[in-house]
Amino acid sequence: MEQAFELVGLTKVFGDETAVDDLSLAVPKGSFFGMLGPNGAGKTTSLSMAVGLLRPDAGTARIFGVDVWAEPARAKARVGVLPDGLGMPERLTGREVLTYLGLLRGLPADEVSRRTTELLEVLELDHEDDKQVIGYSTGMRKKLGLAVALLHAPRLLVLDEPFEAVDPVSAATIRTILSRFIAGGGSVVMSSHVMALVEQLCDRVAVVADGKVVATGTVSEVRAGGSLEDAFVSLVGASTRGAEGLSWLSA
Amino acid sequence: MALGLTYATSQTLVRMRLAAFRHALKDQSRVSWIGTGALLGLVLAGGTIWVAATGDQDLLLVALAVWMLGWVVGPLFAGGGDETLKPEYFSMLPLTPRTLSAGLLSAALAGVAPVISLLALLSLVVLGAQLSVPVALVALPVVVLQLLCFVLASRLAVAVYGVLLQVRSGAVLAAVVNAFILAFSAQGWALIAAFVSTDVQGTMASAARFAPSGWGLVAVDAAGGGDWLRVLLAVAGLAVLAVVMFAAWSTLLVRRTTASRTGRKPRRLLTGSGPRDAAAAKEVRSWTRDLLYAHRAVFAVCYGLFFCLMPLAVGWDGMLPWAGPAALVMAGSMSANLYGSDGTALWTTLMTPGSAGPDVRARQRAFLLVFGPVTVLITVLLTWWSGSSSSWPLVLSVLPALLGGAAGLVVATSVFAAVPTTDAHKRSGNPLNSGENEGETMGIVWVMLILVSLTAGPALVAALAWSWWGVPVGVASGVLAWWYLGRVAADRLEQRGPELLTLLRHGRSTTEQAKKTAALAEFPRWRRNLANFCLGFGAIPLFPQAVVPAVFKLTGNNDTKSWFLALHLDSRWRWPVITLMATLGLTMYAYGALTYLNAKKASRPDG
Repeated sequence: MEQAFELVGLTKVFGDETAVDDLSLAVPKGSFFGMLGPNGAGKTTSLSMAVGLLRPDAGTARIFGVDVWAEPARAKARVGVLPDGLGMPERLTGREVLTYLGLLRGLPADEVSRRTTELLEVLELDHEDDKQVIGYSTGMRKKLGLAVALLHAPRLLVLDEPFEAVDPVSAATIRTILSRFIAGGGSVVMSSHVMALVEQLCDRVAVVADGKVVATGTVSEVRAGGSLEDAFVSLVGASTRGAEGLSWLSA
Repeated sequence: MALGLTYATSQTLVRMRLAAFRHALKDQSRVSWIGTGALLGLVLAGGTIWVAATGDQDLLLVALAVWMLGWVVGPLFAGGGDETLKPEYFSMLPLTPRTLSAGLLSAALAGVAPVISLLALLSLVVLGAQLSVPVALVALPVVVLQLLCFVLASRLAVAVYGVLLQVRSGAVLAAVVNAFILAFSAQGWALIAAFVSTDVQGTMASAARFAPSGWGLVAVDAAGGGDWLRVLLAVAGLAVLAVVMFAAWSTLLVRRTTASRTGRKPRRLLTGSGPRDAAAAKEVRSWTRDLLYAHRAVFAVCYGLFFCLMPLAVGWDGMLPWAGPAALVMAGSMSANLYGSDGTALWTTLMTPGSAGPDVRARQRAFLLVFGPVTVLITVLLTWWSGSSSSWPLVLSVLPALLGGAAGLVVATSVFAAVPTTDAHKRSGNPLNSGENEGETMGIVWVMLILVSLTAGPALVAALAWSWWGVPVGVASGVLAWWYLGRVAADRLEQRGPELLTLLRHGRSTTEQAKKTAALAEFPRWRRNLANFCLGFGAIPLFPQAVVPAVFKLTGNNDTKSWFLALHLDSRWRWPVITLMATLGLTMYAYGALTYLNAKKASRPDG
């Protein structure tokens, strides 16, 4: 099967700390791929390196076979990205952000205007049309980020925590959009902490801990009979705590 | 209970502040900033005490007024004053606004600047001691009250400024006032000279006596004369002022921590037909919608105007034609961190193939649109007003050179020497405070003042030598600088965009910082201090002691000597002294810059 997205030996060292350690992954075309990992496992760092936002110390990534670091322009034209916690052109309204980025990508003006209107409507951002992005809530920022990722109709989406701070109704909308995207032959890579969501949406997962892939495969392979949550906890080698101490909380 | 809580809060906040200060002392570059500032402050405090010792009350009144003015306007240039402890940190604690502001005030007192001001205020005790021992004792509580008023005035000014910058008219007003103050610090000699010649020295002193900065001295003076009613009035005045300022400040703090920051409704929506138009439209909207940008633009233009209009006070109109160029130099220096102030929004450019070029050109286009027409207009009008026909070829050569030079340098500096700031949506309620790199930001402003001025060099030389032939030279050098520096910036953004994003996202990593300071630390301490000193004070020999007297000489103004050394000398020594001073100033800047450049090179062997 042809790979939509490949991470090849990605490595990043910050000071004395190895954030991502020789990480490799393959995302087959047409799959909905979930990337799981505890806080600080290196998910955001590896995804940033894989799409061309952070230069790796070693390794590279390929999008539909195009090397991200050797031919960035060709690779970036094929992917839509939703990074986590990054800024936006804050002084534009949502509609203006999409118009600006669509035109910047060289799409014709009437096409940009049509797509922008549809995206804002579907993601329920259209009633906030005259608000500048600086006044957006975290959830609205996520939705606008998703619209930016979809705008140029890429065949691969790389989404960092797409459901964080998004309300349940919008989350259902986003799930539907992503399922349609997959059904239409697209591929999605998404990082998340939410096991239930990953279990429901994804067909393949990878579990990342300490900058390494500790397990990867289809969802049923990784959970090996149990629940995905149990598999995750045992894979990252943590024990859940919270039963001991804290007696003052119930006083 | 409330008092106990206030005390406990104050104690905790003071300890937090001191802990942060101890951490700052581990950072070499910050230590040298703090050290230089403290040294300068100590010299000024010593001077104030010396004035008190000579018994010159009028001069002491003016000196104290200057101290208070420093407290009020200082934060406007130093990134919103000290914000080690931001009120936002504590907004979730069950503290009343009064308790929190009392705590923050105590913490504000636990710093280097208040200690130095306290030393300066000891001048009141020195003054009292000359009268009698009891008067010296009276002076002690007065000193404390006066210091409290200084610090409160400073905090209140920052809070008021924060409110002003939330509305357009406020941002404009603040910009005009700032521009006046900064222009005054460079060209105020003209106004002062005009004052002195009409004997207003006495008036100034009595004005300073009425200002709150003089009330402490009034109390001490009255105590010496046994006029206890006056003592009581003056002390009560200080106390009431402190209470009123405290109440106003804590009210504004509540507003700051609860106000929302939604931008206003946009008037003209972004449209366009291609990448270049879209990028330019976005950039122009930053200038018209972001009040910090608007503030910057108004500030630069007003600075140019004030800088060149102030000498009119002594009847000298020779600087009028230069208001436009001066405004451009200031505009270029203030706009040298375009990518830094947009922060991590850079990712949208990085992820859009082929957008680096249009983005850089769009920023240049917006800069030229904002500053081009207005500086051309100012130049034409004021040159015409000055009636100096010989100035026409000069300014018309220099202006296009500066326009292109500044447009090229702002993007090049923004890409090559970006200073990370806090992302707009994560900033605190203090619009002046955008990160923890004030020192670096200020440094770039200084360097840019010189670099932008230098881009006028070829045009100026050509115009001096061949008059109107300078105009094509200016246009050519402007176009070249705009085109070439823009291309260099776009290439760099294309090649090293991810590195720039990493810098803006995470700031300088601790290892990088350590490497940088380590490289600088390899130089002996005296060399580091000397480099900082040179960068800090190079302007003094260069501008007031060389450029201004040279302009005076060239324009045949022989009436004003002020503190321009060269003009006090015998005429055959004037040019040599001016040349010497210019060389000294340039050498100081070159030395400082080279020291830092070498350190930077050493820290990045891979280039």
